[in-house]
Amino acid sequence: MKQLSGAVHDLASELVSALRGGDHSVAGTTGSLGGDEALTVAAVRTLGADVLLPSTLLSRPAPEPDVAVCRAAVHAYPPGPQSSPTVAWSHWAMERALARVTAPPHAPSPADALGIAATTGPPDAAGTTDAGPDVTALREASWQALTHQLSVLAALAVPGADSAVATEAARRPVDVSRGFVRAVRRRDWLQAAGAGRWLAVVDGVPPTLGLDAGLRFTLRMGGADARVALHVHAALLMRANDTRPAAARRGGGA
Amino acid sequence: MFSAEPTQDLKTLDFDVEEALNPTEAEGTFRDSRECASLLLLTGALLLSPPTPRPKKS
Repeated sequence: MKQLSGAVHDLASELVSALRGGDHSVAGTTGSLGGDEALTVAAVRTLGADVLLPSTLLSRPAPEPDVAVCRAAVHAYPPGPQSSPTVAWSHWAMERALARVTAPPHAPSPADALGIAATTGPPDAAGTTDAGPDVTALREASWQALTHQLSVLAALAVPGADSAVATEAARRPVDVSRGFVRAVRRRDWLQAAGAGRWLAVVDGVPPTLGLDAGLRFTLRMGGADARVALHVHAALLMRANDTRPAAARRGGGA
Repeated sequence: MFSAEPTQDLKTLDFDVEEALNPTEAEGTFRDSRECASLLLLTGALLLSPPTPRPKKS
């Protein structure tokens, strides 16, 4: 586990560098891991769709090695019947991200590219339908549990996200805001960063929250963890590129 | 470059990946400023208080 954590940390650092305008390559990370391809694939599966985040947020083509390793990770770690919803959602998000970055320009939406219909098809072995895994547990979760689950699934928080998880987050912006404050007070920086990233993409965040200041504080206090830095930089980038009216996004505060 | 076929190495990391993707909530520490301030005041008051009067030796 320690070995995987280190690999995830290295990969997340590469992604932070890419989000800040640097270069990024999963293949380069493999080199730093002593050429251990299995470990790289596992780290990519752990970070999920975020491996393709620079392409998604910066609108640039994904390097072919990155796409290849994402495909390998999706294939190597499919969700099983006993897998938790977070594992199933993470896998679903990776497939969607792959479809998005490999679609030709002016192609249909990822849903169309994957052949996903508006209606749900029959569930697979993991209970996943074409529209995504079951979201009932998330819908019925308390605000604390909701924030925890959302922060684990922060890779799904991207502009224009059209998943059922994003719908749940958009339905409860005040609950996620409360969860963000709770996470900061508990000094759970990873959860705070994940929740803050969701708040960057949903509407109706209370302006009194002071999201920008909260994100900067989280980065200052927990930025040594590359996954925290990744979520915060993603959130700040999405807020900077946000073209929605100020009244819709709010949450900036002081 | 990257093999899409599950190898033995990938299988051994299976449990770790599953655990990383479904973590339990980390233990957090609340730091209540008001509680801390009261404790500090109480400790200060105890340290600065005069010694308890003792009976004089007759």
